[in-house]
Amino acid sequence: MIGRHPSENVRVVAALTMPFIGVFGVYVIAHGHYGPGGGFAGGVVLAVGVVLARLTIDPKLVDRVFPPIVGTLALVVGMSVFLLSALVPMLFGGQLLDYAAVDVGSATDSRRRYLGIMIVEFGVGAVVFGGILSIFDRLSAQVRR
Amino acid sequence: MTWQLDLLLLTLLMACAVVAVWVRSMIATVAVLAAFSLFVALLFAGMGAPDVAFVEAVLGSAFVGVLLLVAVFATGDRPAGRDRRAVWIAGPCTLLFAGLLLVASVDLPDRGDPDAPAHQGVAREFLERSITDSETPNVVTAVLADYRSLDTLGETLVVFTAALAATLVLRRRSTS
Repeated sequence: MIGRHPSENVRVVAALTMPFIGVFGVYVIAHGHYGPGGGFAGGVVLAVGVVLARLTIDPKLVDRVFPPIVGTLALVVGMSVFLLSALVPMLFGGQLLDYAAVDVGSATDSRRRYLGIMIVEFGVGAVVFGGILSIFDRLSAQVRR
Repeated sequence: MTWQLDLLLLTLLMACAVVAVWVRSMIATVAVLAAFSLFVALLFAGMGAPDVAFVEAVLGSAFVGVLLLVAVFATGDRPAGRDRRAVWIAGPCTLLFAGLLLVASVDLPDRGDPDAPAHQGVAREFLERSITDSETPNVVTAVLADYRSLDTLGETLVVFTAALAATLVLRRRSTS
């Protein structure tokens, strides 16, 4: 069931839609300020795109684009980005996660908080993407044998 | 949201829940549970909560379905044997719990009621100030990632720990 789907149609359609799912996932994360969605939903969309590739396309091919380490890596990187960026305002004498205190450049306070929201969203997105992908990879490794 | 649509979606939800328990094949159960999630997402969207509906549609009906399917393939599609006597314990317990929920729901404020306690305290401040504070029109995002970002940090830590723990447990099982 995992990889190498017998039907040519399914493989071609999955390969064609995958990049669009990826772009939509990034759009949902980056567009959380204005529309529904944000880090959590966007991370799930991104992960579903990779899971679709894992389900239909030859594992050797998919592993070259998304090696099995990608899930764990995204998990750790996302968490580190979120935690470390949460500490940055404290270096400037502010409180934890108070991005308005970061006194760099000429941006207004509201603009700094806007960018802080963006960082938080991308951190959450990476954690959700990595978590879902690593659980799926571990679980599907038991089917492949 | 019109009450007819509400009623239709709730009826479909109940039907999905009953069918999911009734069906013998595990794969069919997974498919019905995905449909259940989709109806829940539609219900959320009708309540004016597109953020929650989005997550429910993507996670509940797309990804959890795939995850459960893989789990079924990893363990084998064996329907569990039904113990008829269990109905005598599970039935009254379920009815009691449903009754408790119904009793508790009487005290809930009406949906969208502006005088509800949830809309009185700090929520009004968030609604009025999210654009001047953080240039973010979507108040849900402003609350999640700015006003209450410490909660989000905690939630993300929970997701991180859970994913790591699940990965490690599954890795041990596959090597042994």
